[in-house]
Amino acid sequence: MTNDRHIAQEDLDLYAMQALSTGESAAVRLHLAECAQCRNELAEISGDLALVAMSVEQHALPDGARQRFVNRISASPASAEAPAVSRTIPIDARWPMRRAAVWIPWAAVAALLVLSVSLGMKILRLDQEIQRESSVAAVQSAANAHAQEVLDLLTAPTAQHVLLTAAKTRPVPSARAVYLASRGALILQASNLEPLPEDKTYELWVIPANGSAPIPAGLFRPDAAGSASLVLPQLPKGISAKAFGVTIEKASGSDTPTAPIVLSGAAPAAGE
Amino acid sequence: MLDRVQARDQMAMTDLFDRYGSMVYSVALRVLKDPALAEDVMQEIFFKVWENPKMFVQGRGSLGAWLAVVARNRAIDALRRRKPSDPVEDVVLTSKTNLASEVERNTMMEKVRVVLNGLPSEQQRSVELAFFDGLSHSEIALQTGDPLGTVKTRIRSALMSVRKALQA
Repeated sequence: MTNDRHIAQEDLDLYAMQALSTGESAAVRLHLAECAQCRNELAEISGDLALVAMSVEQHALPDGARQRFVNRISASPASAEAPAVSRTIPIDARWPMRRAAVWIPWAAVAALLVLSVSLGMKILRLDQEIQRESSVAAVQSAANAHAQEVLDLLTAPTAQHVLLTAAKTRPVPSARAVYLASRGALILQASNLEPLPEDKTYELWVIPANGSAPIPAGLFRPDAAGSASLVLPQLPKGISAKAFGVTIEKASGSDTPTAPIVLSGAAPAAGE
Repeated sequence: MLDRVQARDQMAMTDLFDRYGSMVYSVALRVLKDPALAEDVMQEIFFKVWENPKMFVQGRGSLGAWLAVVARNRAIDALRRRKPSDPVEDVVLTSKTNLASEVERNTMMEKVRVVLNGLPSEQQRSVELAFFDGLSHSEIALQTGDPLGTVKTRIRSALMSVRKALQA
């Protein structure tokens, strides 16, 4: 339809006469919107066609046609310029205006009212929906901003990284035992022990691996620093130990441990 | 005159109707071949001009030529019982003659008639089918049995003849 850059004149002829297909017309209209040269050529062709139109045999107007027109404009509003509802001239041969039923305008008004109400409700719903969406968007936006702040802080090269630990607390009581079952030899070193009343003492127990009753392994009291030691107390030889425990007993000691066990530790297998 | 119409001067509008009414009616009648329908088309066109005189933009050619093209287009729409194909404002034309003068207009029209009547019958037929019967190019090709390109060429040749005759 087009040559290199413009619409062919033959097609402009047909376009001016509305003799192109809908698709072809649309393509020409698109080109015309951009091309002054083709618009000018179309104007020339329309001028030619105007002459062709005007060359038709002339007929007198039907009787009363002039008066009908005068009556019509006389009845029209006297405003300076009536608002044009449409940019086009609606003409439909099936429904000529002078034979149109009078109810048509009222039906149109009613339809417009219904349409207006429907549109109003729709607008209201859309408005509410927009408000809801706006609220959600605001919350999400705040969350995103917060997350971004966190990320910025963590990745900032100039940020100071400081390790904080718990403030200095009271040392935990502990004890370390070294036991040689075959010789019945044992050394215990304890530290950070709680001070005891004068009538109390700590007592070490060997818990035999064979399940027999705990064997008392010596008494000891901590010094002012909470330290204490027990070196080679009297113990039977050949008693394999499953564990060791410390209890608080009366100052003279006890034959059986008294709960609670304040320190305890499982013995690893011999030789480990 | 349109300025007075713009000012809601009914007398000016009536003068405009008197000047161009029969021409617009004749064009519509030529297409529709029905006096009542042709008058409906004419009445609507002039009433639209009364409602909105700015539809016709000064400098877009003569008002008479513009009305003739609008009358033809709206009559074809009515013939095909379709909605108006294009806004009337889209009709832009170049007119090299003063068609507002009835004498000059009549002289010009006579020249055009002579040219059209002198065209080869195939060209006349193609212009007739496209312009007054509102057939598309493919419908014309189907009806005449001619190739599409031939239909286009005939219409182009006819319009060029009209233009040359008026320039002579």
